[in-house]
Amino acid sequence: MAEIYLNDIAHGRSGDKGDTSNVCVYARKPEYYKIIEREVTPKTLHAHFGDMVKGEIVRYDVPSLGGFNFVMKHALGGGATMSLRLDSLGKSMGSAVMRMKIHVTDEEMSGIIA
Amino acid sequence: MKKIAIGGGQGFWGDSPDAALHMLRHADIQYMACDYLAELTMSIMAKQQLKDPGKGFAPDFVTRILKEGGKEAWEKGIRILTNAGGMNITGCVEAIRQWADSASMKGYKIGYVTGDSIKEKIPQLLKEGWTFPNFDYDGDFNEIVDKIYNCNAYIGHEGIKECLNQGADVVITGRAADSALFLAPFAHEFGWAEDDWDNLARGIMAGHLLECGGQGAGGNYMYDWRGVPRMDELGFPIAEITDDTFEITKAPDCGGIICEQSCKEQFLYEVLDPANYMTPDVNVDISQATITQVGPDRVRIGNVRGKQKPDKLKLCVGYHKGWKTVSMLSFAWPDAYEKAQYCADVIMKKMARRGMKADDIHISYIGVNSLHLNVADMSEESLKNLNECVLRIAVFSEDKSECAKIIPEISPMQLNGPPGASFFGGRAHVQEVMALWPTYVPRDALDIQAHILEV
Repeated sequence: MAEIYLNDIAHGRSGDKGDTSNVCVYARKPEYYKIIEREVTPKTLHAHFGDMVKGEIVRYDVPSLGGFNFVMKHALGGGATMSLRLDSLGKSMGSAVMRMKIHVTDEEMSGIIA
Repeated sequence: MKKIAIGGGQGFWGDSPDAALHMLRHADIQYMACDYLAELTMSIMAKQQLKDPGKGFAPDFVTRILKEGGKEAWEKGIRILTNAGGMNITGCVEAIRQWADSASMKGYKIGYVTGDSIKEKIPQLLKEGWTFPNFDYDGDFNEIVDKIYNCNAYIGHEGIKECLNQGADVVITGRAADSALFLAPFAHEFGWAEDDWDNLARGIMAGHLLECGGQGAGGNYMYDWRGVPRMDELGFPIAEITDDTFEITKAPDCGGIICEQSCKEQFLYEVLDPANYMTPDVNVDISQATITQVGPDRVRIGNVRGKQKPDKLKLCVGYHKGWKTVSMLSFAWPDAYEKAQYCADVIMKKMARRGMKADDIHISYIGVNSLHLNVADMSEESLKNLNECVLRIAVFSEDKSECAKIIPEISPMQLNGPPGASFFGGRAHVQEVMALWPTYVPRDALDIQAHILEV
């Protein structure tokens, strides 16, 4: 078992709709899809963010694109001009998701290093 | 087989005109659409128009796009669509008329679509029992009704298509949905029916991939940003559609990248449920979609499906919420973060003594956690040798004078606080905070009209 950053196996982008942040997360290689599916769930992602994301997190799976769409409510401190955050539009929420630490088996890890 | 190509010329109000002008000059396109409106842009424009009735639209469309490339586009037969009209569609049309007139473009047809702004209809709709429920938060619409700046429905492609049917060379809208600007030319050219959901969905997704300009061609690209060629000459994406294909590419001889990963990052951007991506024209289903590289800087999009459009339209209401101020102080090694924290403490103790009644205070440290907040690395190891750190304090209050109380307390910290505090950027200002009330309105509350003005 090894611990890696989601960033090592995924890429994506964040956007905003009001106070809702969406982050799409794609596997960098097709074989990583299963790892993301297992490791990055609404529950684990909420544990990662804590009270930075105040509302519900929903994950939509899009296997045909090898990715997932995470929709996080009340995630931007109010959103747009309401938010007092420096990043009121959540442009860095994508990299904040990628910062999540996930666990992979030794076998998976050997594929990632290769 | 008939093929129609449309370029995405602008991703927001303030975007660079370079890619749009390059595209007009060098790409084989029949249409270009320019998106200027983000969620809050309409409120900013409404506020500008209150101060000066001649404002309230994006003048850049005329000064930076049309003046530089509009005549050439017209001569080549490239028709341009934009929501630059914002809150002042007729003001934008008049600016275009003056430009076309001065450029001796007799016969230039300016199409425009009115009817998205329904602020004056609110009292009547309330009387009829419509409650304007906020779909993000609880709250009673009646409490904000006298603080509203703007009230605009996201309208679909029909009015734009009607302008094209009438021969418009340029089409101006207010709050048309971004993607409707791109759907309209395809629907016009291919004669798609109003209930041809699968085709309408293809047109919408073409728009979705183009409406953010450079973001669809290697800008803001996480997958491999270092590998994006010539980012200083970033091209914007172009969508090509035939009866049975849908491809994304870009203009020849420009920077940027069009590949599976660049399109994927934009594909789900600001989408909620991929099986129900709601637009005024169609409910789009991209939950089974495919994106495949079919050539250099060329991908093919497949399996985009559409379902019946919603019977209500999204309504964007911007209203006055309160006031905010942001102050910053910088600190250097050693112990930069500790000093900044200490300084924040000192300021907050002073503010407590002054009795500042803030409704919200947000303290963060630029260089440490102002972007990633809870998930930033706050380990001792990462903080101990920090070169520098900027304390940022943001205060929100419904009362402007409460908000202003902190402003004079910041610069004295240079002499009265932890060592090395440096104040920069001048005294902070109190800024108005506008908020959005996202809600719906019944489709039949709107009276959408298409007009043509010939120069």
